[in-house]
Amino acid sequence: MALVVNGDGNITGLTAGGLPDASITQSDLAANIAGNGPAFSAYQTNGSANQSISSDVWTKAKIDTEEFDTNNNFDTTNNRFLPTIAGYYQINACLYLRNASASPIKIVGLYKNGSIYKQGMQLYFTGNYYIAADTFPVSSMMYLNGTTDYVELYGYISSSSASIGYGSASCWMNGHLVKAA
Amino acid sequence: MTLVEKIKTIYPVLTPADFAFGGITLQNDLDGRGDYIAKWEHPTLQRPTDEQLAQITE
Repeated sequence: MALVVNGDGNITGLTAGGLPDASITQSDLAANIAGNGPAFSAYQTNGSANQSISSDVWTKAKIDTEEFDTNNNFDTTNNRFLPTIAGYYQINACLYLRNASASPIKIVGLYKNGSIYKQGMQLYFTGNYYIAADTFPVSSMMYLNGTTDYVELYGYISSSSASIGYGSASCWMNGHLVKAA
Repeated sequence: MTLVEKIKTIYPVLTPADFAFGGITLQNDLDGRGDYIAKWEHPTLQRPTDEQLAQITE
């Protein structure tokens, strides 16, 4: 039902539960009013231990601890964000990628439904350089359908003794709804 | 012996760049399956079979 204000100032269309859906558009909102969509922030604890991974294998990060999760859409068991509201989400993340041998390749990526969606920062050393640990950022906006679509964070390291670090400042993932679909 | 070590034993010509950028994707989803070949799109080398991989031992 549409929200109607007649010439006498009488309003119809209001229900006891609030305004009908879509009766107020984004352009009707004041500039300082944000939406109320899902938002989350989580990071990797992994028992305060580095997560060992195989060289040359894209491996999911154990993002297992929440800072906030306004709509209970982050799954700390499966380390993924699976929102129940369809729309366009801004996702940001960072991983601390560790290695022990020279000339590593390191990449961070956002995975959507189990496949690479966007790669972030990568380092590819072709000389005999040794860098033991670095933080790698990635961010992207992506459409998630609100039922089955999910996003996860993966890291890739080509090196012996490779691992993903832990901590709220260096291994994290957050995001929020930008525009509902 | 890891999956990538077995693959490199079968195909010594492969380099780390082949796995990072060359159409071969090894993946681990932390679902108990371990490392597996998610994608193999190498222009000349055939995807190794499970039997080939199983034959590679320490």
